[in-house]
Amino acid sequence: MIFTILSVILILAGLIFFLGAAVGVVRFPDFYTRMHAAGKGDTLSSLLVLLGFSVYQLRDFQSFSESWIILLVILKLIAISTFFLITSPTSTHALMDAGWEDKVKPEIAKGRSNHLEEDAPKR
Amino acid sequence: MITKVLATLAVVITGALLLYGTADFPAFGDPHSPASAGVEGGAPSISQYYITESYGDTKVPNLVTSVLADYRGYDTMFETVVIFAAGMAIFAILRVFRDEDDLEPNPTHTQGDRFIDGDHSRIIVGTTVRLVVPVIQLFALYVVAHGHHSPGGGFQGGVILGASFIIIALATDLGNALSRFSEKSYFTLAAVGILIYAGFGVLCQVLGSDFLDYGVLQKIFLTDGPEMARSHSMLGVEVGVAFTVTGIMFAIYANLSSRGTLKSGL
Repeated sequence: MIFTILSVILILAGLIFFLGAAVGVVRFPDFYTRMHAAGKGDTLSSLLVLLGFSVYQLRDFQSFSESWIILLVILKLIAISTFFLITSPTSTHALMDAGWEDKVKPEIAKGRSNHLEEDAPKR
Repeated sequence: MITKVLATLAVVITGALLLYGTADFPAFGDPHSPASAGVEGGAPSISQYYITESYGDTKVPNLVTSVLADYRGYDTMFETVVIFAAGMAIFAILRVFRDEDDLEPNPTHTQGDRFIDGDHSRIIVGTTVRLVVPVIQLFALYVVAHGHHSPGGGFQGGVILGASFIIIALATDLGNALSRFSEKSYFTLAAVGILIYAGFGVLCQVLGSDFLDYGVLQKIFLTDGPEMARSHSMLGVEVGVAFTVTGIMFAIYANLSSRGTLKSGL
């Protein structure tokens, strides 16, 4: 019972972050901030949902000798989470980098300079 | 203009006929449809046979695999040939040879160490690819080898394996990927895959049975009965399919992304 409640809380938290990411993609002003919302929100919410799944698997865990197969499922979920943790931010970064290389202008408040432009290496 | 109107008319009429035809189909999952229940007084149901008998026939728990690689193995072999033909067509249409192409593609870029050392603007992508590609390739082999017991098999595993090389090409450049998996090797791999599949068929004929009737291969695999021989042979032909799909996946990417020159790429 406690595991079910805990997993529901985790999955709901993940869904809230998903909602935040979706709102961010629609509402943020330019390409980079939108990618920032998508990258961070997607990664964290996927991890939370997968963590909720693994907690849910624990609900009828008896003893190691009887229910080791549950641990196997959890191990697979952890492997998926690790894969996500590495690849999702990287794909966001690659998209951002492609946008920067393609000279997509970030939106900058009046009176502030784009320090990235000065730091950028000549390609 | 008139051709566009005619083409649209043809498409609309064909689509309407197809949609009209679907009205005669039995409902999805209907237990009384001929495919599920057989014809009354005629042929018994083939799906019932697969569901109840395929494990006894082949000792393969995943009945999709047993249908794909054994009951209709002939069909699957030519599906693999279609993929091979697609790769050959891409090669024939797109690949261009010029004099300067006889040199090694991108001679400065063939070093595998360029992932991190050479290009600091790509350190994040390069490191991730380094971490992830071995895992992807291992998973691809798992999907191929575990196709008997879980969803998967030669086509899926081959696509994953081919995609791992495409990731290398995307993260660095095409020359780097080609230094690992050259044009010669991917087309050889694709052809060898079909030869493995057809070889299993011919081997069955040599041992005195029909083409792709794996049961007779128990003389070679030294199994207890024809069932386990079928199981092992299915793994063999799945490996053949995976070879072909891997090679052709990467061949299509390499030719499309570089307009057939196999230089620089995206």
